[in-house]
Amino acid sequence: MHAEPSRPHTLTSFTAELDQLRNSVLRISSLTRLNLENAIKGLFERDDDWCNNSIADDEEIDLLEMQIDREGIEVMSRFQPVASDLREVISSIKIGANIERVADQAVNIARRARKLNEHPELPELHLLDEMIKFSFEMFDDAVRAFAERNAELAKRIKPRDKELDRLNRELTETLVNKMQDDAKNLPGYLNLIFISRCLERIGDHCSNIAEDIVFAVHAQDIRHLAQANRVAS
Amino acid sequence: MIPAENILPLPLTDDFVPGESNFIQVKDFKFFYGKKRALHGITLDIPSRQVTAFIGPSGCGKSTLLRNFNRMNELIPGVRHEGDITIHGTSIYDPSVEIIALRRRIGMVFQKSNPFPMSIYENIVYPLRIAGQKDRSVLDETVERCLRSAALWEEAKDRLHDSALGLSGGQMQRLCIARAVASRPEILLMDEPCSALDPIATAKVEELIVELKKDFTIVIVTHNMQQASRVSELTAFFYLGNLVEFDDTKKIFTNPSQKQTEEYITGRFG
Repeated sequence: MHAEPSRPHTLTSFTAELDQLRNSVLRISSLTRLNLENAIKGLFERDDDWCNNSIADDEEIDLLEMQIDREGIEVMSRFQPVASDLREVISSIKIGANIERVADQAVNIARRARKLNEHPELPELHLLDEMIKFSFEMFDDAVRAFAERNAELAKRIKPRDKELDRLNRELTETLVNKMQDDAKNLPGYLNLIFISRCLERIGDHCSNIAEDIVFAVHAQDIRHLAQANRVAS
Repeated sequence: MIPAENILPLPLTDDFVPGESNFIQVKDFKFFYGKKRALHGITLDIPSRQVTAFIGPSGCGKSTLLRNFNRMNELIPGVRHEGDITIHGTSIYDPSVEIIALRRRIGMVFQKSNPFPMSIYENIVYPLRIAGQKDRSVLDETVERCLRSAALWEEAKDRLHDSALGLSGGQMQRLCIARAVASRPEILLMDEPCSALDPIATAKVEELIVELKKDFTIVIVTHNMQQASRVSELTAFFYLGNLVEFDDTKKIFTNPSQKQTEEYITGRFG
């Protein structure tokens, strides 16, 4: 059982600082989403400018991650939040860190895309389509679940990570086979495998974000459930 | 001196069961100031040798309940109660219970430190003197033991016969705690013991509370929720004379079950 407050804090500055922290997480989310799009555009349009944008804009995201940490620490030191407020602050800091790592994957994709752009396009590039769609949807849902404090939506994200892992394994296997048949394009296939791996990592971070949202909303720790159940039994 | 066992039908400290989960039992307890009902049927069990915190906005009934444990509220004209409070299974309202003996078993520390206008030494031995104790060695031993348990010995040992009124606010409060434990009570009631103290003095009293729970069952009323979360194992939240929630302090401050508790501790009302 858990309780959800419905009225605002008596201290309006407390509410304002929590809102500020929340807005910072939403801002890092939208910048990260943009960087992911830029990296993918650079990959499919074979345009290094998009890739360079994605790499350059990562700096702002790194700074925002630090700002989120600062804001979280400030709220904790000034207002000593408890219960749902404390969970919100802790989760926001952790979510900020996970989103920054998603942005790092955008940078990795952009770097691999620049390498691929040096050579003629590989038709296998489009094997990534499904994983891109899938990982982007997971990211969008994770951000929406945070914005709406929607724990039910967050809970539905975690199982999708398994599906993304499966897509990554299948794609890697296909591309390894291609490498054996078409050795001259080996570096290109390798770059596609790395990009697939980046998309798979984005799914992992979305899964972490979803766990933090469930904790913030329901005070329920859904991480490592199998191990926790084993220890409890 | 009247031997304690002759006036005290309740079990003595030696019989005391450490970790007794229902050491103090409050059973459907209602309390009235004249026609005004201050407590609406409170039921809760307070375990021994732990710290239980009562929190809630002003007027919620937390101090009223605390002051019923040693029947202090009976000093106010026009009050009455329904229901019962038991300590170690015996009702505090049992006709055989001597109220003075009851209060000897239940020490109390108030919001404002109230040292008597006498020396540090005399403040501590006061409860023993009124009980007829004259043996100097017993008195000396008590002063040292109590000042040590109140973490005041080092600061006060060279000025035991100076006026207690010359101590700082924090020292005075610790002296009152020392005096409260001098008659070897089983229960220590604290009604906002740190609200007039600076942060360092507060920290010293809190450290003392954690030490004292090895020997005493402590019930503390506090408006400082960080204090409740720091020193207590259990927390009871009261609102408008009702017990809204009573649970492990960790649970109350991380994930309370009741919306009213959540809203109070997160500063949304009260």
